[in-house]
Amino acid sequence: MTNEAIIQLKDIDVTFHNKGQTVEAVKKVSLTVNRGDIYGVVGYSGAGKSTLVRVINRLQRPTAGSVEVNGQDILNLSSRDLRTARTKIGMIFQHFNLMASRTIADNVGYPLKGRLSHENRKKKVAHLLDLVGLSEKAEDYPAQLSGGQKQRVAIARALANDPEILISDEATSALDPKTTSSILALLKRLNKELGLTVVLITHEMEAVKEICNKVAVMEDGKIIERGDLVSIFSRPQKPLTQDFINTATQINQALEKIFRQADSLNLSESQQLVQLQYVGASTDAPLITELYKRYGVVSNILYGNVEILQDTPLGNLIVVMSGEPDKLAAAWQYCQDAGINITHLNPNDTEVA
Amino acid sequence: MSFLAKYFPNAVTMKGDFIQATGETLYMTAITAIVAGVIGMAIGIGLIVTQPGGILENRVIYNILDKIVNLCRSIPFVILLAVIAPLTRIIVGTAIGTTAAIVPLVIGSAPFYARQIQNALAEVDRGVIEAAESVGSGPIAIIFRVYLKEGLADIIRSSVLTLISLIDLTAMAGAIGGGGLGNLAINVGYSRFESDVTIMAMLIILVIVFAIQLIGDLLARHVDHTA
Repeated sequence: MTNEAIIQLKDIDVTFHNKGQTVEAVKKVSLTVNRGDIYGVVGYSGAGKSTLVRVINRLQRPTAGSVEVNGQDILNLSSRDLRTARTKIGMIFQHFNLMASRTIADNVGYPLKGRLSHENRKKKVAHLLDLVGLSEKAEDYPAQLSGGQKQRVAIARALANDPEILISDEATSALDPKTTSSILALLKRLNKELGLTVVLITHEMEAVKEICNKVAVMEDGKIIERGDLVSIFSRPQKPLTQDFINTATQINQALEKIFRQADSLNLSESQQLVQLQYVGASTDAPLITELYKRYGVVSNILYGNVEILQDTPLGNLIVVMSGEPDKLAAAWQYCQDAGINITHLNPNDTEVA
Repeated sequence: MSFLAKYFPNAVTMKGDFIQATGETLYMTAITAIVAGVIGMAIGIGLIVTQPGGILENRVIYNILDKIVNLCRSIPFVILLAVIAPLTRIIVGTAIGTTAAIVPLVIGSAPFYARQIQNALAEVDRGVIEAAESVGSGPIAIIFRVYLKEGLADIIRSSVLTLISLIDLTAMAGAIGGGGLGNLAINVGYSRFESDVTIMAMLIILVIVFAIQLIGDLLARHVDHTA
């Protein structure tokens, strides 16, 4: 991964006017994507993430701001030059957008029509179908394929012009979890093997977690938080980011279950429900044993999860700690000193953190 | 033959007239279909690409095309025949006869076909157009390789509909001097109380309509891969 910027969006505004109503879909957003990045843009629907990335290939012209892709000022290109620039920016979509009237091979070969001879096109299409593992479906029509297969065809089509960038606009949102994983794995492989830069739009942090090295969180037309994956996951600042991450690590679901039976937990004065979060090396230390040995604090684990993000482990534990109040305080201090993030949870508070 | 002689006493004696009238009807239909087909297709595509959100969005052109289509479609065909007689005279030299009938037929059916084409192409998924734009396709490539290709099954169905309504119009044009089966049915069959002639003309028209419908359905099914 180099630090050479391949996409630079600066102060992008996108404003829609519709029937007297003005909607600011994107507000003053800047975003830099480096060559070789898999950059995730997360947010709920309506946050403006699709609008933002469609600015990259000028499917959407921004109201203000500048767009530089591969050193080219995209907004000032003639329509002919724009078409050439677009061949280097592949795009895949939530609903695949394949042509129902063309065979799989014809769909994949479509971008090459008029650019390559028939013979070369055939070779290239065969190679692309092989790359996405659909060689035997060449003469089928899209209607005969499953969702995951359709998305593979769309990926092969997007790669036909040997792009350097692939924009994935909610490409896995219409797929089941298993298929989603296989599509994400394919994107990761393309990123590694072809050096493809990927911009991944999604509302699922799980997808980001699996393959992205960087992430930006969007809300209400703005990027509210951004950074490399591990630091965002380990130290989310904004409530929305925390919410996304808790959903992705399934902590929300765990908390919900724990809170639902809060009464049966029956916490006494000397007990406290806490969430421990730790990154990297601190996942190796035998924390629970250490707390008992040092402070006599007993930890009852209710939920535990370790994620490996970009080869960095990220652990989450929900435990009930029991001990003398001053010992508990000392134990928490110890945790904090060890670089572990402690969140005190109130089981009577139904609002999930 | 005795069946025909019994139930179509007048019609059997007019075999030559029927052959000529059928030929005239097919001639008017074919020439009009070609001319109105080209014009209607062009206007239909024009409407689709210039409409708000289209690939060549242009409010002025869209509104002009839209108004022309609406205007032409609002005029009842029988009145149109009379109104444009002077124009017909300029174009073909006469306002009477089979060839002269083609002018009002084109004006009567092209806007209808344009709307049909517009509706057929509107069915093409906007996302597919966007995907084509994203791989660097220009407007011409999108029109010919995406819109017309993806919309082909619907275009065939619309064309069948237009052809059938065109045969309806040729009958009307025929009745007021254009020749063809309509002329035979009304000016011979109806006016002379030889109703078997009228019925025979109608039957021939029905056969033509069914044949067009059948061929169209087969073609549409052949190119449709959506299911």
